[in-house]
Amino acid sequence: MIVASSTCVAAVATCVVAPLVGAAVLRLTERRLDPRLVAIAAIGTSLVAALTAATWWHLGAGVPILLGHRLAGGDLVHVDGLTSLLLPYVAVVDLAIVLVAPRRAFASAGVRRLLVGAAVTFATLATSHPAALTVLWAASIVATTSTIRSTVGGRTTARIYGRMMAVAIVCMAVGTALLVADPPWVAGSGATGAAGGWLVALAVMIRKGLIPFHSWYPALFSGASLATALVVTMPQVATYTAARLLVGHADGVPHELVVLANAALLTAAYGAALAVVQRDVRGLVGMLAMSQSAMVFAGLSGTVPTELCGALAVWVSSGLALTGIGLVAWALESRGGAISIETLQGRFADAPALAGFFLLFGLAALGFPGTLSFVADDLIIAGSLDDHVHAGVLVILTTVFAAIAVMRGWFRVFGGPVTVDAPRHSILPRERIAFTALLAILFGLGLWPGPFVHSLERVAESLLASRHHPATTAPLGEHP
Amino acid sequence: MTLDALTCDPVSALVAWQLIAPAAALATIGLPALVGRSLSERATTRVVAFAFSSCFVAALAVLVALATSSFATRVVHLGTLFAVGHHTASIDLVADGLSIPYVCFSTGLCSLVNAFAGKYLHREPGFTRFFILLALFGTGMNLMVLAGSIDVLFAGWEFLGISSALLIGFFHERRNAVDAALRAFVTYRICDVGLFGASVVIHRATGTGDFASLFSGDWPHATCLVTGPTAVAITLLFAFAALGKSAQVPFSGWLPRAMEGPTPSSAIFYGALSIHAGAYVLLRCESLLDAAPLTAWLLVAVGIGTALHASIVGSVQTDLKSMLAYSSMTQAGIILAEIGFGFRLLPLVHVVSHAILRSLQILRSPSAMHDRHELAAALGGHPGPSSWSLVRLLPPGLSRHLYHLALERGFEETVVSRFVVRPLLTALVTADGIERRWIAALGGRTGVGGRHDHDGGMP
Repeated sequence: MIVASSTCVAAVATCVVAPLVGAAVLRLTERRLDPRLVAIAAIGTSLVAALTAATWWHLGAGVPILLGHRLAGGDLVHVDGLTSLLLPYVAVVDLAIVLVAPRRAFASAGVRRLLVGAAVTFATLATSHPAALTVLWAASIVATTSTIRSTVGGRTTARIYGRMMAVAIVCMAVGTALLVADPPWVAGSGATGAAGGWLVALAVMIRKGLIPFHSWYPALFSGASLATALVVTMPQVATYTAARLLVGHADGVPHELVVLANAALLTAAYGAALAVVQRDVRGLVGMLAMSQSAMVFAGLSGTVPTELCGALAVWVSSGLALTGIGLVAWALESRGGAISIETLQGRFADAPALAGFFLLFGLAALGFPGTLSFVADDLIIAGSLDDHVHAGVLVILTTVFAAIAVMRGWFRVFGGPVTVDAPRHSILPRERIAFTALLAILFGLGLWPGPFVHSLERVAESLLASRHHPATTAPLGEHP
Repeated sequence: MTLDALTCDPVSALVAWQLIAPAAALATIGLPALVGRSLSERATTRVVAFAFSSCFVAALAVLVALATSSFATRVVHLGTLFAVGHHTASIDLVADGLSIPYVCFSTGLCSLVNAFAGKYLHREPGFTRFFILLALFGTGMNLMVLAGSIDVLFAGWEFLGISSALLIGFFHERRNAVDAALRAFVTYRICDVGLFGASVVIHRATGTGDFASLFSGDWPHATCLVTGPTAVAITLLFAFAALGKSAQVPFSGWLPRAMEGPTPSSAIFYGALSIHAGAYVLLRCESLLDAAPLTAWLLVAVGIGTALHASIVGSVQTDLKSMLAYSSMTQAGIILAEIGFGFRLLPLVHVVSHAILRSLQILRSPSAMHDRHELAAALGGHPGPSSWSLVRLLPPGLSRHLYHLALERGFEETVVSRFVVRPLLTALVTADGIERRWIAALGGRTGVGGRHDHDGGMP
C-alpha cells in the first residue's frame, strides 16, 4: 500500500512538474527546438503520469492519499478518485489544443504560458488545502488576465475577466480565512464560519460563471483566443474547488450548496437557450460551455450516487466534446476568418473533413446514443429526478436546447451555397490525429461504458462519504 | 457489456444480428471515411446490401420460429451497458408478433432502397455519406422496433431523428434543404421531450425502464400493469413524441419540406418507415392505451384532424413530392385514429401496406414526371384533368374558402409561428441583446472584444 501511495504521489508530481520542465527547456533553448514538439513531450509526459496515478489509485483500496500540511479539512496533496479522473482529462484537453493550434499561433512565449498554466491546473486538481487553492486560483487568474490582455484586441475582455475574477479571488481569500478560523462543519460554529461558507460559494459562483455572474464567459469566448478560452473553462477549476471546500463538507454548508445548485441549474438551462440564438461559432461554444459546466455543478451538488456519476460523466464528456467543437472552429477560423452563424456559410465543400468532425463532436455533445454524453445524460437525468423533479425537468430542457443549438450551428457553418468547387482546406494530419483521438475516447466510453461508470461510482461514493466524514483520511503510508 | 444472446439459442442470435449487422455496416463504411479513405461505391453498396438482406433473411427465420410458437414473446438480453445503484442500463430486445413482422418489412424495404440508391446516387459527391446515414437509420430502426425497454427505444428513436435530419439536408448547398433539415430536427427534438418525459415517468413508476414492468402477455393481447393515471401520463407523453415524428398537426410543417432530400431517402423516411415510427411506439404500448381512454380519444381527434388538414392542403400542391408528402400525412393521421379507436392489427396492416405503396410512388416519382412529359409531348399538349373531384360538389363560396385555406396550409404554420416560435425567439434574442449590452458596460465600451482572433494566439 505504501508503494502504491508513493507511486501515485510521484506520478502526480511528475504530472505537475513535466509542463514546468517543458517551459524551462523552451526558455533555455529559445528558437532551437520546435515549441510544438516540446509541448507535446511535456503534456504527453503529464498524460502518462496522470494515467499512472489514476491506475494506481483505482488498483488501490480507494482511500484518499493525503500528504503535507493539513488545514480546515484540506491537505496540501490530496489524491483521490476525483483527482485521478480529472488529471488525465485535463492532460487530454491540453494535448489536443497543442496538436491543433495553428502554426502561426505557436510562438515560444505563448507555449510557455500554456505549459505553466497546465502545471498550475494540475497542481490545483491535486490539492484540497484552502490556502493552496487560493494561491493557485490567484496565479491562474493573473496569468490568464495577462494573456488575454496581450492578445490583439483583448483588452476589453481582459478588463471584464480581470474585474470579475478580482472580486472572486477576494471572496475566496476572505472566505477561506473565515472557514479556517471557524469551520462551519464543526459543532458550535458561529456566524464567522457561515460567512466564510457564503463567501467561498460566491467566489465559486463568479469563477464558475453561474447566474448572475456569468457575463465573463461569453466575453472570454468572444475576445480571447479560443485556446485561452478552452484552457480556462474546460478544467472547471471552480467546480473542483467547490467539491473540495463545499461539497466535501456538505453537512456544514447545506444552504450554500442549495443556492449554488439552483443557480447552476438555471445557468445550464439559460446558457443552452441563449446558445440557440448566438450569432457566431465562438458565442455558440461559449454558451454551450457555460451551460454544460453549470450542469456538472448542478449534478455534483446532488446527494444520490447516480447523479454524482452523471455529473462526473458530463464533466468529461461535455469537456472533450466542446474542446473538439472549439478546436474545429479554431481550425476553420485559422483558414478563413471569423465564422458567423447568422446566415449559411457554405463551408462544407471547402472543408468536408472538418464538417464531419464538427458534426461528430456535436453529436457527442448532445447526448447521441453510442457516445459518453448519452450515458452521462442518462445518469444525470435519472439521478436528478431521484433528487428533485424540477432539477430533472431543467436538465431535460437543457439537453433539448443544447441539441438544437449544436445542430443549428453545424447547418449554418457548413450548409448553404458553396463558394469553391473542391476542398481548399484539407485537414492536417496532426488535426486529424487529435480529433480522432478525442472521438475515440467519446465513442469508446459511450459504447463500452461499464468500467468507466464503475470507476465513476467509486469516485461518487468517496465524495459522498467525505460529506459526512470529512476527517476520515489517513496520511501517506498509513492506510490499512 | 457481454453479448449474452450470442451464446444462447439460434433465435436469440438471429435477433441480435438485427443490431449487429447494420451497426457493423455503419462501422465498415464510416470508419474509413473518417480517416479520409472512403470505400468504393460498389463496396459501399455491397456492405450495406449484405447487412440489410442478411437481417431480412434472419428476421424471416425468426418469424417462422415465432409462428410455430403462436407468437409467444421472447426477450433477448444482449447485455448490460452499466449499472449505478438501482439504475441499470441493459440492452433487452423483444421478439413478438409486432416487432418481428415490422423488422422483416423495414429491413426488406431498406434492402430495396439500398439497391435503388446505388444507381440513383451514382457519382453523387455525397454517395458515401448517404449510405452511412442509411446504415445509421437501419441500426436505429431495428433498435427502436426490437426495443424491450424505453431506454433502448429512445436510443433507436434518436438515431432515426438525426439520420432523418441529415438526409433532408443532404444537398447542403441548397438553402431550402438546410432550412428544412433544421426545421425537422427542431421539431423532432421538441417532441423528444415526450419520450424523455415518458422515460422519466416509467422509471419513477416502476423503478426500471423495461416494458415488461408496464405490461405483460403477448402482443396484441397484453395486460397493463400500471395504474390508470400513470398509463395516461405515459401514453400522453408517447403521443406527444409520436406527433412530431409522424408529422401530425400542429407539428406537420416539416414533412412537405423534408422532400428536399434525395428521392431514396424521402421514400424510406417520409413515405415508409420514419413517419410511422410514432404509430409503432403507440402500438407497442397498446395495453396502456386501453387503460388511458383520454389519450385514445386525443389520438382519434388529432389523427382525423390531421387527415382532413393534409387531404385538403395536399389537393392544391403543385409538385409531385409535396402531394405525396401530404398523402403520407393523411394516412399517418388515419393510422393514429385507428390506434385511438382500439384497433391493433388493422393499423399494423395499414402501416405496412401504406409504406410499400408510398415508397413505390416516391421512388417512381422522377420517372413518372418524365413519362408525363413524354405523354404530353406525344399528345401535343397537356392531357388535362384526369379525375373527377368531390370538391366540385361543394358550393362555390365554400370551395373558394377551402382553396384559400389549403393554399395557406390551414394557417397551421402561421399560428405556430406567431404564438409559439416568434415569442420564444424574441425573448431569447432580447435576453441575448441585454447580455451583450451588459458585457459592453462591464468592459467600459460599446462592444466586446471588437475582434475575433483568427490566428488564435496561444494563452
